[in-house]
Amino acid sequence: MLGVLRIQGALATAGHARLLSARLLASKSTTDMTTNRGESTQSAATEHFDIIIGGGGLVGTTLAAALAKNSTLADKKVLLLEGAPEFRGFNPTGPYQNRVSAINHNSIELFKSIDAWTHIESARYKPHDNFASDVACIIENDLILDAVYARVKEAPNVEILNKARIQCVRLPRDSNSNLSELQLQDGRSFSCDLLIGADGANSVVRKEMNVDVFSLNYDRMGLVATLELGEDACDNSVAWQRFLPNGPVALLPLTDRLSSLVWSTTNEQAKMLQALPPTEFVDALNEAFCRQYPRVELADKAVQALNSLFGHNGSQHQVQYPPRVCGVLDKSRATFPLGFLHASSYVCNGAALVGDAAHRVHPLAGQGVNLGFSDVRFLVESLAAGAYAGFKLGDKQHLIKYERKCLAKNVPIMLGVHGLHTLYATQFSPVVLLRSLGLQLTQNLPPVKNLFMRGAMGQ
Amino acid sequence: MLRNALARGKLRHLLSCPIVRNSTRSSSTAKPLDAGTQKEVGHHENYASEWWNQNGTMGALHALNEIRVPFIRDGIVSRGNVKPGYVNTTKVLLGQSILEVGCGGGLLTEHLARLGARVTGIDLGEKLIEVAREHLKCSSPELASNVVYKMEPVDQHAKANCECYDAVIVSEVLEHVNDKVSLLEASVRSLKPGGSIFITTLNKTIPSWFGGVLLSEYVLNLVPRGTHHWDKMISPLDVQRILDTMNCQTVLVNGSTYDFWSNTWRWINNNQMCYALQAVKQAQREYN
Repeated sequence: MLGVLRIQGALATAGHARLLSARLLASKSTTDMTTNRGESTQSAATEHFDIIIGGGGLVGTTLAAALAKNSTLADKKVLLLEGAPEFRGFNPTGPYQNRVSAINHNSIELFKSIDAWTHIESARYKPHDNFASDVACIIENDLILDAVYARVKEAPNVEILNKARIQCVRLPRDSNSNLSELQLQDGRSFSCDLLIGADGANSVVRKEMNVDVFSLNYDRMGLVATLELGEDACDNSVAWQRFLPNGPVALLPLTDRLSSLVWSTTNEQAKMLQALPPTEFVDALNEAFCRQYPRVELADKAVQALNSLFGHNGSQHQVQYPPRVCGVLDKSRATFPLGFLHASSYVCNGAALVGDAAHRVHPLAGQGVNLGFSDVRFLVESLAAGAYAGFKLGDKQHLIKYERKCLAKNVPIMLGVHGLHTLYATQFSPVVLLRSLGLQLTQNLPPVKNLFMRGAMGQ
Repeated sequence: MLRNALARGKLRHLLSCPIVRNSTRSSSTAKPLDAGTQKEVGHHENYASEWWNQNGTMGALHALNEIRVPFIRDGIVSRGNVKPGYVNTTKVLLGQSILEVGCGGGLLTEHLARLGARVTGIDLGEKLIEVAREHLKCSSPELASNVVYKMEPVDQHAKANCECYDAVIVSEVLEHVNDKVSLLEASVRSLKPGGSIFITTLNKTIPSWFGGVLLSEYVLNLVPRGTHHWDKMISPLDVQRILDTMNCQTVLVNGSTYDFWSNTWRWINNNQMCYALQAVKQAQREYN
């Protein structure tokens, strides 16, 4: 008790000191204030936009481009806020970047609809026909950003504000007050009919929306890198993924001789791998792809029995190995934390969430950014329909339609990806048995296999 | 025929003079409302403060905008009175002048104004008109130049505004009115030839009584009790028959229903529950 009191006392004195110093500073700067008054009142004036997008990442920028492209929303003033300095652009002749995305069919359709696809196609991309030809492809994130950024730049109704960090947000609490307001860290303030949170997993907008968030920390990190492959890679058109005890490791083809790596593993191992010298890192990687782990005998026998039931014998199922990795590009290794997150609601009066601000999944199925792009499609569709029916852009009545469409699509995929992660994170024999049988059954039953494949391809 | 028309015009002119004088003196000296109407107006005024609360008893009415605004919008577009360049933009109703009879708190009025229309909303409830004006001023000031609210009966309004609207809307009103013929007659009178009257209401069927009255008022408490009455409900065929006598041709009747669990309305392929109807006023024929 005494300790608490004393701490409080200390805080109080510290507070006093701060207040005092603030006053002193204030008195010193009054002269500056008076000279700058004209300017300060100008900056204090709130500028109004119809839609403000908080966060100019892949999803936020794509949303801005899609809004600008929609004919019903063409007269809406849009502001895109991005914390980082202006995008430097993408150099298609430079070295490959380590952050890539597996873009599915639906997302490609979205890029086509906003005229960004030819830009991507003409630069560099590799269709990867793991499932079928020309369905999904691995594209560098910066290339996607470059393509959609160009569309946003040429849009007459969209403004971009860089180095703009949101300080605080105020949303209309009831249906009577009607504007969302926000203030930037540099003091500028804006108001809008609809504020869209595209500001990632730690969304400021989501916090202000007061929605419940379900989140899990996987205690895993993703390690990304750009790899050089050996001569045995052939045309390198297949994406590889292997589930290791610590998490999946995947090779995503970029060119005939380059692949992108996504390796999910424990935090310690990820840090260790990132720090290894290049040759040792390559060895560790090759070992990870080829090493035999102790197998559950029961599961192996059950799979054999199942195969004989379907009339396959063991020799038909030869184990295939991924191409041998022979080098890693300089400075291409990076790590990022993995987690699961889902907001209980994507919308409220005056605000909506898209992309990672609303949901975040394990990268093992390459669905994260595709879910974000599908949010973009649903949101633009819903906003256009709502505006054409005379709704205010921030009216929850029509925004709820966007949420319903998203939930119906996102929740099953997220549960599936999370389920896969959990399924492979265990060595518990009954679970191993079931997953081995499940995988084999899926492999042997074409309709089931097609169902999963269509899901992954986003059709 | 010609003499007839002239005589009618003269008669109307004669009639309109004292009424105009009346209305300028004071609105309270206008013809007093009958007891039934008074009761209905009072019932709705009791919920005046609830009108704009999306989560309250008017939730279903808010949700109805999802289908009735597109019904009216597309109905007007389909008559070919909208510039092709405006279609699919948010100014689709620019230049259209619309009368909304029984506008209540202005839920529908503001939506139509937001699409560019000039809308006049009339209602008998003083409190409701106050709520509508207040909301317009506070929450949608950008629409102030497009919307006018008036507390006056439709027959009085029609006398002063004969044949001057491109569209007249009687949405969720007919089921609260005793004298449907005179309400529709006055509404049609204020409509330009070639203009459309849009009506949405409940059908008079067992399912609509079961869902619209028993279930929603007494079991689920979605709507305040005593909002709807069996004897005041009317079938689309009866509405059509009344409109036929007023030279209005019904061009569209769409059935709709309400899903209370998701607070959404949707079109269905029968009009046993609720319906939306569009009729077009024909130009006066020269022969008899």
